[in-house]
Amino acid sequence: MESNTITPLTARRTRAGPRRLLVALACVGLIAASCGTNSGKAAPSGAAAGASAVAAASLAPAISPAASLSGTLTVWAMGNEGVKLKVLADAFMAAHPGVTVNVTPVDWGQAVAKLQTAIAGKQTPDVSQMGTDMMGQFAATGALEAVPANFDPTAYFQSAWNTNIVNGTVYGVPWYVETRLLYYRTDIAAKAGITKPPATWDELTAMAKAMQATGGAKWGISLGTKNWQEYLPFLWSNGGAVVDDQGKYQLNSPAAVEALTYYASFFKDKLSPTSVPEGFDITPAFVAGTHPMFFSGPWHLSLIKEAGGPGFETKWTTAPMPTKVSSTSFLGGADLVVFKNSPNKDLAWAFVQYLTDPKTQVAWFADVTDLPAVQAAWSDPSLTGDPNVAMFGTQLKSTMAQPATASWSELGTALNSTLEKLTTGALTPQAAADEMQAEAEKIGAGD
Amino acid sequence: MTVPALAQRRTAEAAPAASAGSGWRWREDLIGWAFAAPFMILFFLFLAFPIGASLALSFTSFGLRDLQNPVGATFVGLQNYLDLLGDPKFWKSLLNTVYFVVIGVPMTLALGLLIANALNRGVQRFKTTFRVGYYLPVITSIVAIAVVWRFLLNPDVGLVNMLLKAVGIDGPAWLANPATSMPSIIAMGVWRNLGFAMIVFLAGMQAIPAVLYEAASIDGAGRWQAFRFVTLPMLRPTILFMTVITTIGYLQLFEEPFVMTGGGPLDSTLSVTMYMYQQGFTFFHQGYASAIAYVLFLIVAFVAFLQFKFLRSDT
Repeated sequence: MESNTITPLTARRTRAGPRRLLVALACVGLIAASCGTNSGKAAPSGAAAGASAVAAASLAPAISPAASLSGTLTVWAMGNEGVKLKVLADAFMAAHPGVTVNVTPVDWGQAVAKLQTAIAGKQTPDVSQMGTDMMGQFAATGALEAVPANFDPTAYFQSAWNTNIVNGTVYGVPWYVETRLLYYRTDIAAKAGITKPPATWDELTAMAKAMQATGGAKWGISLGTKNWQEYLPFLWSNGGAVVDDQGKYQLNSPAAVEALTYYASFFKDKLSPTSVPEGFDITPAFVAGTHPMFFSGPWHLSLIKEAGGPGFETKWTTAPMPTKVSSTSFLGGADLVVFKNSPNKDLAWAFVQYLTDPKTQVAWFADVTDLPAVQAAWSDPSLTGDPNVAMFGTQLKSTMAQPATASWSELGTALNSTLEKLTTGALTPQAAADEMQAEAEKIGAGD
Repeated sequence: MTVPALAQRRTAEAAPAASAGSGWRWREDLIGWAFAAPFMILFFLFLAFPIGASLALSFTSFGLRDLQNPVGATFVGLQNYLDLLGDPKFWKSLLNTVYFVVIGVPMTLALGLLIANALNRGVQRFKTTFRVGYYLPVITSIVAIAVVWRFLLNPDVGLVNMLLKAVGIDGPAWLANPATSMPSIIAMGVWRNLGFAMIVFLAGMQAIPAVLYEAASIDGAGRWQAFRFVTLPMLRPTILFMTVITTIGYLQLFEEPFVMTGGGPLDSTLSVTMYMYQQGFTFFHQGYASAIAYVLFLIVAFVAFLQFKFLRSDT
């Protein structure tokens, strides 16, 4: 019979089928069987970067500084830092013969995915740069080594150090920082009869109104329509907080509602545009004078210089965050972490120590204009000489950062989405505050 | 189906030489598998395994903590799927996707058919120029397209609003307004995918025997009637095919909103795949994201099934 001769072939085929299925089932079984192992893991939520958190030193033991270092390090750095870090790596290698430092530049857009892949594949670098807002997320993976006690927390800006504390453990060392100042057109202000920077919230509103009414500007100010980094400084300056000392969210406190009311007033009064085209660039608009005020970080110093050309430098300046209860701005930047899988952790920490040495920090500022996270570096003339740079140094002493929780990227996205509803007028400040609080409580700390 | 047929033929040939037969068959099989191996290995490694793994993931709360030890992920049963039912953002993204499909698919197919017909029977000069022109967007990088479209749709200096202004209309902020953002995305999606529909329809039309048109014209059919009673019925299988694959493609809407709007404003262009991407790779809720993927898969399968059932049966 024909069917008989076919049988071996088809049998072989079908035998392969169930076997694959079995393997697949076994995989599912493994996952199911180990379901109990993680259940006790939920730790109390991390409020480490909360309002009153003091700079806590790392509890991990100190490493002994080896007399002679040797070995090979792989260091990942993002964006511009990834391109320029080789200069410092070369200097480090020159000082320590026998040490090789390989710098791998990573694109910021790919950074999170690449690090996640590296952790999953156990192919992590020894040292990596990490955005201050990524710390909670990556500390949660369990792949980061705790910082040894050699690093003195008080050497750094306090809020920068705090971005590294996740559930009480210090996982990274601040590398460079950034904060936000008010950039404004002094010539347009003068035309509107204002000759000094706005010191208070009321003065900021008055200035925006005057610039639009009599200064000849199309808008009074340009505020982010959906950007938590621009809203939180107003919350903090009003005495509010994202989380209290117990790690409980405080996003609909009376201080928060007041801050949201103030923030929304710029949009309600048509002082700030409610709809911003995708890919909008503030720099040319600032130079053209249509948007005479905005809040931004140190990178706009060189961007405006470049776009404004000669003679423009007398037409603008920077000012600290206007005061309500305090003048508190946002702190961002990057930290340096060492991975648990690194075979040469002593060398890795020695390299981190080198990068956060005040002298290296000053040299790094000269190379890439990254603001030093180490306070001692700020006495150098290259930083005190430029009044705009010095202004950033002053503001840095009064800054806060987002809480270092694993769920921050999710909560940040939710805050942006609520802010968009607030600035377009779809939600009242009270409703926006309640929505933020509800979202935050639903998302939790991500433990 | 083809494999047993092949085997049958082979046994018929091999039957006379029974003694040498089994060894030869074995060797022939091995050669066959060897030729198929590159595909099979890649298929199982990069397609079948991930599909199975993501199904398993969708029953866990796989997240950041499980990155170093994937098999230690907590089993949560159907919890992800239940959460999905009560997730307003998921429903919003599903509604946006349906909006895109319901308007986008008929538009793409109708315009593709129209242009293909014009190029097939109407336009004689510059035929190749038109064909290349309509097909170019299909092979152009989506990022380059997005940059150009963002320029075109810019509320202040964009070409679209400048033309509108010339006729006295104050154009909206296309991508920044929740009411016009999805129509803008649809316009770009249709423009981008039109070329592919056109090429397929054109190929289908060129396979229609000219005698049918001759017969129709002898019977007194005009251009419209020739299109209605010859082209359309003859193209039915092609139209069915295009409807199914365009619907499947559009249900997976991702690139257009990803590069143009980031899902905004106010989530008005957030698609199911974008939400899945956000959950899976921004928030790293990979279990939840896998559940979204499987729900979308079921929707796609169901829609394709319906289309086959209804479009095929009335031929």
